Amino acid sequence: MNSEFEKLKIVSRYELLKQFRRKRFYGAVIITILAQILAIVLYKGLNVPASLPTILPDTSKLFALFITSLGSSLPILFSVFFAGDSIASEFENKTGYLLFPNPVKKRTIVMGKYIACFIATTVVLIIAYVVSVAALLGFYRQLPIEIWGALGLSVVLASSVLSLAFLFSSVLKGGMGATIGALLTYLLIFPIISGSLSASGHQPWFMLNYAGNSVTSVYGIKILGFGGETGAGFTTPSIPVSLFVMLAYFVFPFLLSIWLTQRRELI
Amino acid sequence: MLTMRESINIENLSKYYNSFLALENLSLKVKMNEDVALVGPNGAGKSTALKILCGLIYPSSGTAYINGINVVEERERALANIGAIVETPEFYQFLTPNETLSYLGRLRGMGGPDLSSRIKEVLHLVKLDEWAGVRIEKFSRGMKQRLALAQALLHNPPILILDEPTIGLDPRGLVEMREILKKARKDKTVLFASHMLAEVVQVCDKIALIDHGHLLVYDSIPHLRKKYHKSLEGVYLKLTEGAI
Repeated sequence: MNSEFEKLKIVSRYELLKQFRRKRFYGAVIITILAQILAIVLYKGLNVPASLPTILPDTSKLFALFITSLGSSLPILFSVFFAGDSIASEFENKTGYLLFPNPVKKRTIVMGKYIACFIATTVVLIIAYVVSVAALLGFYRQLPIEIWGALGLSVVLASSVLSLAFLFSSVLKGGMGATIGALLTYLLIFPIISGSLSASGHQPWFMLNYAGNSVTSVYGIKILGFGGETGAGFTTPSIPVSLFVMLAYFVFPFLLSIWLTQRRELI
Repeated sequence: MLTMRESINIENLSKYYNSFLALENLSLKVKMNEDVALVGPNGAGKSTALKILCGLIYPSSGTAYINGINVVEERERALANIGAIVETPEFYQFLTPNETLSYLGRLRGMGGPDLSSRIKEVLHLVKLDEWAGVRIEKFSRGMKQRLALAQALLHNPPILILDEPTIGLDPRGLVEMREILKKARKDKTVLFASHMLAEVVQVCDKIALIDHGHLLVYDSIPHLRKKYHKSLEGVYLKLTEGAI
């Protein structure tokens, strides 16, 4: 009999195959590329550096900040679509009747599914950064070193958002409900809490969306509207603190989703 | 006196779904290589019992053993001994039968040329060899049921747990599935839940009749006929009188 690690590799492999067979993966790739191209066209076409509240020189760093802030947010949102139905669909579509009576621990199944979703998200994220890097090299003939930091933080943020989606997927009956629940939490509830805290003078350092803004903080450019700055609060997330917060959002919801899936019955 | 080893041993199994009692102190022993049908009216607790044996749900009290291994305490080790079809089988639409069986076979420790040849063998057995490379999203319900049987037999398990494996099949499919089951059950213990008594007679030696989560009778089919002087259908109707 295989070890649980061997089984984890098998589950990850076939879950990844399932992700790559789905149209949503290719839809995510195409939309990400188009959005990146649109961001580049708008930056250049609208002369963004000259239109900012504080006029800044058109440097490779500013360009990278602008396009990677958009480029990294889309794949992270797509990660919710990859993960939302990961666990819920086994119960909703009754495929769990096929998978669960096998001699494999449920935690191995959840971990394998997570790894597959993480790889699919990272592939889309890397494609977004490849477009960014190509544009930077094409327009400026240079690559700011900070872009790699932004990519690293984007990967960590994606892993946290995936964990959040897995938590919803392990609780809710349907994949669609889990996807919508995770999206609403990340895009609506978290920003409302962060915005309220910022407006009242409290730095929302512990909120995932605020910590996620550290992706643009790495460039060290302060612009209103980028990197977590809001009109009232105007604070920039600390990168080490944000990294810690994002890792916490990765670990705790993920462990909770494993625990909930282990307890969940396929009635 | 020597007793044959029990493949399945259900001991005082009870299961509540919130306040609804689906199984009440069910006890049942299935000896090695016996073919037992679990029959009973809708809601009798057949699927609940099979789902506990397959580790899909947890008992409220009592326990179950597969080849002497406690399903609740050592789920994975117990499941290594069974092949199962539970409820209407559903598959991953984006995978082909080859990929699905390869996935499940690998999870059970199979691999290499042995797995490939076994996949061919079971797909041939269920007459799906021509569909081996076609995505399952194109499959009819009957084809999915054949594939479900193929995955249950893939690792040549000593115990088969089958929950209504022929439901929804057309008459030809029904006959073919029955023939496959007759061949497949050799040297295996089979616990087979079904509503179709005609099918039960052909596939199983004994029946366990349950109703409202209780075991009403557990005996060989010829003995039951003799005892009640009735056909199996007559025995069923007599014992489940008043069942909803």
